[in-house]
Amino acid sequence: MNQPSARRRRTGYLFCLPGMAFLALFLAYPLLYNVWTSVHDLDLGQLLGGAERFNGLDNYRSVADDPAFWHSVRLSLVFTCGSLLLQFTIGFALALLFARPFPLNGLMRSLLLIAWLLPPVVSGTLFRWMLDAESGAYNALFQAVGLSGLSHDWLTDPSTSMAGVVFANVWVGVPFNMLLLLVGLHTIDPELHEAAAIDGASAWQRLRHITLPLMRPVSVTVLLLGLLYTFKVFDLVFVMTGGGPVDATRVLSLYVYEVFFTFFRFGQGAAAGLLLLVVPLLAGVWYVRRLRREDEAPAGGAV
Amino acid sequence: MSYPLDRRSFLRASGATAAAAALGAGAALTSCSSDTSGPVTLKWWDYFTLDNFQPGMNRLIKDIEAGVPDVRIERRTFPFAELERQITLGAISGDLPDLAIVDNVAMNTLGSSRLLADLTARVKKWGQADQYYKGPWEGCQVGGKTLGIPNNSNCLALYCNTRMLKAADVEPPTTWDELASAAQKLTSGDRYGLALSAINTEEGVFQFLPFLWQAGGDLDTFSTYGATALTFLDELIAKGSLSEQCVGWTQQDVNTRFLNQRAALQINGPWQIPTLKKADFDWNVVALPRDKEAATCLGGENWVAMANSKHVDKVWEVLEYTQRPSVLVPYLVAFGELPARKDLADRGSWASDPALRLFLSQLPLARPRQYGAHYAEASQAVAEAEQAVLTGSASPSAAARTAAGKIDKALGEQ
Repeated sequence: MNQPSARRRRTGYLFCLPGMAFLALFLAYPLLYNVWTSVHDLDLGQLLGGAERFNGLDNYRSVADDPAFWHSVRLSLVFTCGSLLLQFTIGFALALLFARPFPLNGLMRSLLLIAWLLPPVVSGTLFRWMLDAESGAYNALFQAVGLSGLSHDWLTDPSTSMAGVVFANVWVGVPFNMLLLLVGLHTIDPELHEAAAIDGASAWQRLRHITLPLMRPVSVTVLLLGLLYTFKVFDLVFVMTGGGPVDATRVLSLYVYEVFFTFFRFGQGAAAGLLLLVVPLLAGVWYVRRLRREDEAPAGGAV
Repeated sequence: MSYPLDRRSFLRASGATAAAAALGAGAALTSCSSDTSGPVTLKWWDYFTLDNFQPGMNRLIKDIEAGVPDVRIERRTFPFAELERQITLGAISGDLPDLAIVDNVAMNTLGSSRLLADLTARVKKWGQADQYYKGPWEGCQVGGKTLGIPNNSNCLALYCNTRMLKAADVEPPTTWDELASAAQKLTSGDRYGLALSAINTEEGVFQFLPFLWQAGGDLDTFSTYGATALTFLDELIAKGSLSEQCVGWTQQDVNTRFLNQRAALQINGPWQIPTLKKADFDWNVVALPRDKEAATCLGGENWVAMANSKHVDKVWEVLEYTQRPSVLVPYLVAFGELPARKDLADRGSWASDPALRLFLSQLPLARPRQYGAHYAEASQAVAEAEQAVLTGSASPSAAARTAAGKIDKALGEQ
């Protein structure tokens, strides 16, 4: 077909307008306002008195000078990497399982999804209770099966509280990973597996040389979505530990929240908030560039 | 579209809400003139969301609407932890109440924010300042101005399970040494001698500060006396008299332990009395054990008027009205709260109830947490030090030194 007429193009733009207005109002405006805040000296008194003062990169500097900030960055990375690795591996294993037909497959799959449908505040509260040292379900379970050596004050011991919140987050994330990976598995032509089997490839060889390579694009998408969700996670951790004990689970989002709403240091909070955007932004840019490269690659290179 | 990068243009650009915000910010700067033609509707915010507070609150509001001429109250409630935040956000968006009942510790942030109306002249004319207990009244004074009126007061004391104490042949402790030995004697099986809250929020700090003060120190001498107080608690944990779990307990959790008889002693406030009255065991309350000096922490709420309100005079009329004994006593009784006024000490349920009387007798000792605008940061440093010691990740002296550095920095920024 030839180029769309100017009229049609105008109509096209018209359809985009509501979306663009939405983005401008709810994304661009707060983001720019945040940038503005991050370069001003702004606490509660100054905000009300209108005495805010441009202070360049001072807020960024004081955030970078704050050991608590770097501690929370490290915690965020631990939380994100731990969660992604576990929920992806378990999700993949479950996807492989559910890719085969067996009785009650559909029912069990939908039951698993409930974990993902629950609001994080609910799952956080549930896990806080289940991991409680005295009345929690896990310790009771360990004791009941004679493994009382495993019972532990999971969330009130600084050395295990991070493991506790990662555990809860993995539980929340597994069904989502499983679902997307399962869809990916269904796009692989079964004939490939049949042909390989006839050629004498073992199940492990087929997984390694057929399934895994063909699943790479889906896997990247799943991991990226997981990264975006996990890096900014707030509610689950806030409900489970409030960042404690001491500061053992004060991930970056909790740090930002604290600077804003406990200390009312708006300028520094905005600066730290923008830094919270950096990791997901870098990952997003990398992903988009990768997609473009794949689009340009010869047909057959990607699923 | 391009905007010059200044806040007001930004706010205007986002439409109606923003316009309201700009007006709000403007109004905050101009002094408040009241237009008293016809009935005035006052916006009122508080955090008394629980069901058992509603009858008392509704009655108070009805009483005000009947007793103060031409006034209507429009009440809105927020969860406890949300109110101060909402007031702050309201300051940005221009959506603020005319009056509010806020936690007394919120005076640190709000008091230095220009959000609160100066009531000094009105209070002077009223002439009842000397009727209030020192702690609660001083909690309303910021920078030489009166920015609020105490609504009610509370403080901490030690609850004892009398049967357990009798069985273990233990007297209610009055000093730290007695507390330590009593807690140890009362510990057995899955029952701890003492329960207290050491959670990493203001709640935990509220419970910790009395130990610091009893040791003879304060926030500005934390590296010395903070270490003394932390050592004392650390030893309780080491001996098993206090559960390490307390780093995750709220005061509500502590009371639950006491109610389930899994703690023989607990540090808590008078707001637990209504629940404890339903318990099927005997208990009593004594003053917090002392070390170098006796001390307890002041809690409770203050009335405040917002500086940007167009009706500050009307708000003051309401506040003055609520402080009349005929209004205040039934209201406080309905809430199970203690008065902040000395002249009411012999009225209400606190005149006859021994537990309430004990709490009331502690009010003159109760200290407000009044440390200025950056108290929140100092408070967090205290909570972290306590958590680090009680979970065994730092020694009391090291934790106290780290915290002292943060506290000095925060409180030095006034």
